[in-house]
Amino acid sequence: MAAWGCLAAALSFGVAACGDDDEGGSASSGSGDSGSTSLTVYSSLPLQGDSRPQSQSVVNGIKLALEESGGKVGNFTIKYTSLDDATASAGKWEAGQVSTNARKAAQDKSTIAYIGEFNSGASAISIPVLNQAGILQVSPSNTAAGLTRKEGAAPGEPDKYYPSGKRTFGRVVPADHIQAAAQVTFQKDEGCKKTYVFNDKEVYGKGLADQVEQIAGQQGLEIAANEGIDTKAANFRSLAQKVKSSGANCMFFGGITQNKGVQLFKDVHAQNPSVKLFGPDGVAESPFTSKLGAEVEKMTYITNPTLDPKLYPTTGQEFFKAYEEKYGAAPEPYAIYGYEAMKVVLLAIEKAGDKGNDKQAVIDAFFQTKDRDSVLGKYSIDENGDTTLSDYGADVVKDGKLVFDKVLKAQT
Amino acid sequence: MTAVLGNVGSTLRTVRSAVPDWVWALVFLALAIAYPAMVSSDLLDASINSLAYIIMALGLNIVVGFAGLLDLGYVAFFAIGAYVMGWLGSLHFAEVNGGEGIHVLTNKVAENLPGIHLNFVIILIAAAAFTALWGALLGAPTLRLRGDYLAIVTLAFGEIVPRIFENFEGISNGRQGITPVDKISFLPGQTPLAYPLELEPVYYVALVMVLLVLFVNRRLRDSRLGRAWIAVREDEVAASAMGINLVRTKLWAYAIGAALGGFSGAFLATYKNTVNVDQFEFGFSVFILCMVIIGGMGNIWGVVIGAVALSMVDRFLLKELNGIPESIGLDFDVTSVNFGIFGFFLVIMMVLRPEGFLPSGRRRLELHEEAVADDVASAVAAEEVIEVRPKA
Amino acid sequence: MEAASLPETGPASRTPGRSAGDFVLDNILWVILGGALVFFLATDFTQTLVDIKTGLSNGTIWALIALGYTLVYGIIELINFAHGEVFMIGSFVAVSVWQTFEVSAASSLLVIVGSMAVGLGAAMLVSGSLNVMIERVAYRPLRGAPKLAPLITAIGMSFILQNVGLLWRGTPDSTPDLIRSQKEVFTLLDVTIVRSDIFAVAVTVPLLVALLWFVGSTRYGKAMRATAQDPDAARLMGIDVDRTIGLTFLLGGLLAGAAGMIYALYNGTIQFNQGFTAGLIAFTAAVMGGIGNLKGAVAGGLIIGVIQALGDTHAGGRWTPVIVFGVLILIMVFRPQGLFGEETREG
Repeated sequence: MAAWGCLAAALSFGVAACGDDDEGGSASSGSGDSGSTSLTVYSSLPLQGDSRPQSQSVVNGIKLALEESGGKVGNFTIKYTSLDDATASAGKWEAGQVSTNARKAAQDKSTIAYIGEFNSGASAISIPVLNQAGILQVSPSNTAAGLTRKEGAAPGEPDKYYPSGKRTFGRVVPADHIQAAAQVTFQKDEGCKKTYVFNDKEVYGKGLADQVEQIAGQQGLEIAANEGIDTKAANFRSLAQKVKSSGANCMFFGGITQNKGVQLFKDVHAQNPSVKLFGPDGVAESPFTSKLGAEVEKMTYITNPTLDPKLYPTTGQEFFKAYEEKYGAAPEPYAIYGYEAMKVVLLAIEKAGDKGNDKQAVIDAFFQTKDRDSVLGKYSIDENGDTTLSDYGADVVKDGKLVFDKVLKAQT
Repeated sequence: MTAVLGNVGSTLRTVRSAVPDWVWALVFLALAIAYPAMVSSDLLDASINSLAYIIMALGLNIVVGFAGLLDLGYVAFFAIGAYVMGWLGSLHFAEVNGGEGIHVLTNKVAENLPGIHLNFVIILIAAAAFTALWGALLGAPTLRLRGDYLAIVTLAFGEIVPRIFENFEGISNGRQGITPVDKISFLPGQTPLAYPLELEPVYYVALVMVLLVLFVNRRLRDSRLGRAWIAVREDEVAASAMGINLVRTKLWAYAIGAALGGFSGAFLATYKNTVNVDQFEFGFSVFILCMVIIGGMGNIWGVVIGAVALSMVDRFLLKELNGIPESIGLDFDVTSVNFGIFGFFLVIMMVLRPEGFLPSGRRRLELHEEAVADDVASAVAAEEVIEVRPKA
Repeated sequence: MEAASLPETGPASRTPGRSAGDFVLDNILWVILGGALVFFLATDFTQTLVDIKTGLSNGTIWALIALGYTLVYGIIELINFAHGEVFMIGSFVAVSVWQTFEVSAASSLLVIVGSMAVGLGAAMLVSGSLNVMIERVAYRPLRGAPKLAPLITAIGMSFILQNVGLLWRGTPDSTPDLIRSQKEVFTLLDVTIVRSDIFAVAVTVPLLVALLWFVGSTRYGKAMRATAQDPDAARLMGIDVDRTIGLTFLLGGLLAGAAGMIYALYNGTIQFNQGFTAGLIAFTAAVMGGIGNLKGAVAGGLIIGVIQALGDTHAGGRWTPVIVFGVLILIMVFRPQGLFGEETREG
């Protein structure tokens, strides 16, 4: 009966009153509490299903960054653990697995930072958990505005993700609104009068498409439609026909390569040879550009946060070289963000000095990042946790490769 | 291999029948209550998921196992239940009541937030009732159909329902999903449970839910309705001739099966802290169906075992496998073949035990009428058939 | 399963006691489908013609895959969930052949034609033998087991093959555009016919004719039909049932391989998860045509293609799957035997 009484207590007071409290994170290798010099950085990315190639590349980028620092910052030894937020039965990120990973990191006393998630929808789940635990979270790839900003967000965002009331989440990739503004500028520069917008219905793609639609309205670019596509469709010949009937002279796809980007570009081009095709950074990668073919290439325009390597600090160029040398393949686009996420985490630990094992000190150090010369260019982290990077590269495609054309200054 | 498993099975049955049922029940209950103290939090977390899946598998078992109606679209009810939780217990309708929100007996955290926030128990009941209604509505057009045709229609519903939620963003927030969802609490003004950081309390909530569902399931199976289901499964024409109302019987199966899906869906929505259309894929229907079939259709305990086995493989075992190659110095990433391993597991399970881990006695008889007649196990099997009848 | 793969069976035999109301209900679907088509033709003639053309040429691929489902279902009443994956592997094999020999649209005509033939042959061969192997490993041991057991192994095989596809090509890959697939051939009534439209039809039709001939007029076909009707009686008549079932899987696999090769050239891109969706759509097509009915499967594939094209145009791509499955539900409810199928016990 004692157990039942205890259960009743648990039910009504919401406290663990039964048995011993679990020590937490059995897998946490017992690296001691926050007096310790051994710190752990977790990453949580979908390592199964469609996203695997991209995520694997991000993990490689993170590893590269850690290796460059020799696995040590000051007196602290940094251990890196890669978690998978996908499950076999789902084949992609799964909400329950995301909170499992966040809990794992939160209960491991040696945790100092958490890199992830890859998907904005997933971060919406892990941010509140890690926020309560007061752990720095840096995403290499989340662009949904609502995670950090009120502008362009749903009601209640972003505050609903931060139960502790303090900010603990930041990102090294610019949020959607910046790229959308760059897109619209790019399209107007290229003489677009009327743009037909497609999106892949995902958080990233749709968010971006919606922002483009909104900003285009402010800047006098007509939007013919903003249509979600069925990413499982075999081809888009009927939709290409619709572009033709709409009289649009440009098309924009808010989405990623995995969601049939190549197919959409090919099909739209085949029926509308004179329409200019615009894509975001979600397609700024070789699996996309190398598959378009000579005809489509000529009409393709892509915004890319990665600028011309020549405009980059040499560190950026070195990253690409080092990556290829180590892994024998060119990195996927987000690898460099994974690399930078780890770099900025290590930097925050370093700046915290002796307090490098103090979670709050590291968070504070991260938010104080100013004018950092990174592989991505010079940026600061603002009070929302957003990067101040706002220059976008306007790229075209030649011989299957992205070719830098000019810099777009986003006017937000 | 099959023979070995069969022997193990019959040995188990012998041992089982040597001890009265209530002793077993008490032993399992004691183990279940002491469980959180014995395991790591990773395992506990996986177990809470298992408990939720047990409820779903038991719900599907009513439709597939008891009433014999093959359902490939069960995920629709998970979705509906989860969205009820999302609508009634989150910030989703932030503008409601002039931004003030609606609060009914809710907890300390939620009572100050905009949006609709009802008490968890009310939401659970609402979710179960609402999904039951939809279960009956979606079941109604299929009443004329049997076998694979039924499976196809339910599959189509399973595909359509999530797409509709996805496309009407006003009710679902699209792919971004409804996040966060209110935490569980029971008394007004109480501090809500602190999962995922503290898992024990929520484990007990899930456990109580499972016990409740198990109780209901057993009572249903032995009830007049339960016998009607089995009669319909065996032979619709004969059942109808014996005065069973086919329409009513089938609709009840759909409604109750769906209600359990919604019940568990609402719990999972708050436990996973999100209602996201990404979760509601055909694969999930298949996942739950596999639990029912691998466990042994129609057998409550078999289904429980199936649910635990599959969800543990998915969420715990495969994750643990990931560490092995590294620990023995191999540069091989198990995550790249997880999906295949899972498929392989399904194939092997079925080839070795095509009737599931614990086939229900009556089903064994059906499947091997000749074989069972001279099988030693037949006596035991016959005993299990009797079990289906109401107990005094 | 008396309705199984019997192309030459007579018209539907009605169960006694079916009322006039049922007759209307049975045919109301034709009225709805036809009415929608007439309405669209009346409101936007050219656009609808274009949609029909797009739909028919897309539909040929669904038809080829649907045949595999319908053949297998007709003979052992099993929904072969792994079939879509077999099709996907077929695509991968064909593209790999072309990539290995580095053929491109710029190669000489002889090389292109030759490599297409080799690609088709390789895809069909691999898919065919893969399907036979799946039957051996995953279905044959379960003959006589509960009906749902092979369904689970089918799903298991499908997961395994998807994983193979993922390891093989993790990201979408593009196909060498050997036929310059979107090059205009001629224009009829403002509808532009491109090469891939002709290509899809040109490869599909001979395969269909060959299949119908094989099932309808050869000894093996007769054995298949006999097995479909009653395996025990067929066995008594001296038919090797196991071999016949194996043959059925081989035929289904060959067609899936061919569909894979056509898909690759027609669309220009391939992806490891293309099989799952294609399988679901083709399966819908098979059901729509009356599962077990070969000609019905083909018609079902074409109709689904047209519905998809019209859906894309008028409702938008995101609603198309809802429309396709909605039509499927209507058909199942009002005409469970399919649009062209015979009455069955199941109905």
